[in-house]
Amino acid sequence: MNTLRLIWLHLRVNVMNEFQYRANLVIQLIQSMLAAGTGLVALSLIFDRTPTLNGWTRPELLVVMGVYMFVGGVIGFAIQPAMNRIMSDVEHGTFDYVLTKPVDSQVLASVREFRLWELTDSMVGVGVIVWGLTEVGAQLGPGEWASFVLAMVAGTIALYCLWLIPTCGAFWFTRMRDIQDLYTGFYRAGQYPITVYPRWLRLTLTYLVPIGLAVTVPSQTVTGQMTATRLFAMSGFIVAALAVTRLVWRVGTRRYSGASA
Amino acid sequence: MIWYLRLYATLGRTSVMTNFQYRFANVLFLVGMVAEPVVYLVVWSTIARQEGGSIDGYTAGRFAAYYIVWTLVRSMNITFTPFGWEERIRDGELSAHLLRPVHPIHYDIGFFSGWKVVTIALWLPIAAVLTLVFDPSLHPSLVQVVTFSIAIWGAFLIRTLLLWLLGMITFWTTRVSAFFEIFFTAELLLSGRLVPLALMPDWVQDVSLFLPFESCFGFPITALVGPISNQELATGLLRQLVWIVVGSIGVAVAWPRAVRVYSAVNG
Amino acid sequence: MPAISVNALGKTFKVPVRESGLAASAKSLLRRAYRDVIAVADVDISIDVGEVVGFLGPNGAGKTTTLKMLSGLLQPSAGEVRVLGYEPQRRQHEYLRRMALVMGNRNQLQWDLPATDSFELTRAIYRIGRADFESQRDELVELLDLGSLLDKPVRNLSLGERMKAEIANSLLHRPEVLFLDEPTLGLDVTMQRRIRGFLGTYNARHGACIMLTTHYMADVEALCERVIVIHHGSVLFDGALRELADRFAGHKTLTVTLESPADLSAYGEVLEVTATSVRLRVGRDQAAAATQQLLSDLPVRDLTVEDPPIEDVIELAFASGAVTPP
Repeated sequence: MNTLRLIWLHLRVNVMNEFQYRANLVIQLIQSMLAAGTGLVALSLIFDRTPTLNGWTRPELLVVMGVYMFVGGVIGFAIQPAMNRIMSDVEHGTFDYVLTKPVDSQVLASVREFRLWELTDSMVGVGVIVWGLTEVGAQLGPGEWASFVLAMVAGTIALYCLWLIPTCGAFWFTRMRDIQDLYTGFYRAGQYPITVYPRWLRLTLTYLVPIGLAVTVPSQTVTGQMTATRLFAMSGFIVAALAVTRLVWRVGTRRYSGASA
Repeated sequence: MIWYLRLYATLGRTSVMTNFQYRFANVLFLVGMVAEPVVYLVVWSTIARQEGGSIDGYTAGRFAAYYIVWTLVRSMNITFTPFGWEERIRDGELSAHLLRPVHPIHYDIGFFSGWKVVTIALWLPIAAVLTLVFDPSLHPSLVQVVTFSIAIWGAFLIRTLLLWLLGMITFWTTRVSAFFEIFFTAELLLSGRLVPLALMPDWVQDVSLFLPFESCFGFPITALVGPISNQELATGLLRQLVWIVVGSIGVAVAWPRAVRVYSAVNG
Repeated sequence: MPAISVNALGKTFKVPVRESGLAASAKSLLRRAYRDVIAVADVDISIDVGEVVGFLGPNGAGKTTTLKMLSGLLQPSAGEVRVLGYEPQRRQHEYLRRMALVMGNRNQLQWDLPATDSFELTRAIYRIGRADFESQRDELVELLDLGSLLDKPVRNLSLGERMKAEIANSLLHRPEVLFLDEPTLGLDVTMQRRIRGFLGTYNARHGACIMLTTHYMADVEALCERVIVIHHGSVLFDGALRELADRFAGHKTLTVTLESPADLSAYGEVLEVTATSVRLRVGRDQAAAATQQLLSDLPVRDLTVEDPPIEDVIELAFASGAVTPP
């Protein structure tokens, strides 16, 4: 419960700060709409020429695009800012503040930076998901909805883990910033279902930069392409990822404290 | 003037040395950048194969060629961002430029050119890997290769001038972000970056003729990947020249005015 | 013709007026209210070739604004400026090649490369011929003791070393006019002394005209025979440093060393008594008379007559706020 309270406190401060910059909301909204618009243009170009892409229909791809934007918004809102802050703290030596607080350092470092207006991506994403689902005409029972939401949460956790692990590289090599470019680059590949990609890319996008887990898998749950066994296997992977992340964090912070003594 | 040659040579050399020190970061950036065109490549090759081999004349092989060459052209397109002016003004760097007996655009062109040289060198192995993986069909003639080599630098020059002009709006108002975003989205769609312009509806292709975006992006790629006649190559280069002239005039006219606005208030 | 000539120079800024409260900010959305802030008003300055002038004033007095107008970064609102015959705000390249503005926190050197590479870039920018460049660079290296530092990447230099390299970089083109804004700010004592010495030598050797702002009195005393004091945008004083005390300090300090202790309160205000000496404050006009009296009345071993410390004088000048014609 302490963790939740911590998140709430940080979130509140951040929101109050961001409310000072209302102009940013408008700009972000415009950005999100432009991104959605571009995605829609791409989809219309594709579906002018073919009825399905690798088995996926247009409304199904709409759902994928919507989930991509939604998850992207969450990442821009909560995950990316925290990772950036960790890296810059380590670079400038201010990471000590995190370690000396009477709170679990991994939790603290992960929940203290938010950028509220990035959520416009998520807002627009929800709209696109709804649009897509309506066109799919799927009758989604509570079971499907539950697995949809759970799959998104699980995928986002996987993304968090596999972003935090390389960020921990900062404890060894201070110049980790550049890895950011790599990640944000690969992240873009998530706007299409990863089943379209060649095997090596599919594997990368499932286990290395698990955008596939965060976007394709949830989409598959609502388009009827997901099976219980696959979901189960995914959960197993995520538990393993969390454990590994924890281990890397511990080793990393111990090295940091040792190194700066 | 000899001094301008000296200046560019020195700027280029200094930039190459500095950017070579950041080669690790540059490689990571390039690899990350590759994801975008790979996505487009895979999607469109898939469609081409699904629809009987080609779309609008583009086979899977040609799509592969288009998007691999895309990565180099995209790098050559990267220049001083219009968003950068706000910071330049705020942290005093602009004043430093104004104290030097040299127009700051030479500084930007010179420095970025050096960076491009390093980028091209780092790009070659990445392109080799992409070629192995995606098997592009690329058989350019000598004329095409020469035109391409000129066109990528022309593209860099046009985009630098264009974005400079855009960025100067910052001197009059700081509420420009939304406008820049719209500009970049239009560029994404009208330049050949999202898809080859041949795949866009006819009216879009007509509009692009009057805009500089294609000259910066789609033209250099198509020059190398083809199919393109020698006459079209020449027309393309000519169009680039026109945009360079237009851009230069724009900057020459706007810059003194921008400085006047700045020096009335900030210094 | 003077090197620097300033006539009736003025600079006024329009600053938006913002009141607190919800109603006021709603109103400001519709109509912006401005008020005029006068940074510099009716300033006349004339500096000849080869002079070293200290430009003093409290923070916000208008010093930096004036320097920016002299270097062409800021447009005057009123009046005329001529430096070396040029109008600075036109920023002609010939003018920029003959002057230098050094503001403390500028970072002109390439961070990742040795200073030598930055020097080459400066050479290309300022169009310095190879022979001139080498002699100027060698002289700067010698005067600032840069020898071993030139081949190290700038990021590996200490703050003081970097400052020296930055100053060298700013002067490679051997400017005839130097504007220095707090050149010794934040440096340790040894470095300050070195920079002072360097500036003095540079001026002596090349006859460059130097105008510097500073808060360190040691800079002023070491370098500036002439000072200009500016406050609230106007010139308070323009003349020799010694005369500053005459104008603004109403007293002098007498330090008397006696054979045997005595009470000197009759001669002036006693500031301090030690085993061997007494310090007295005496009105300026009475100083000569008091000295004579002391010498004739008492067995005086040693006697010095001093102006109050420069810092005190400057403070008094700022406080006076009076605009006196030079």
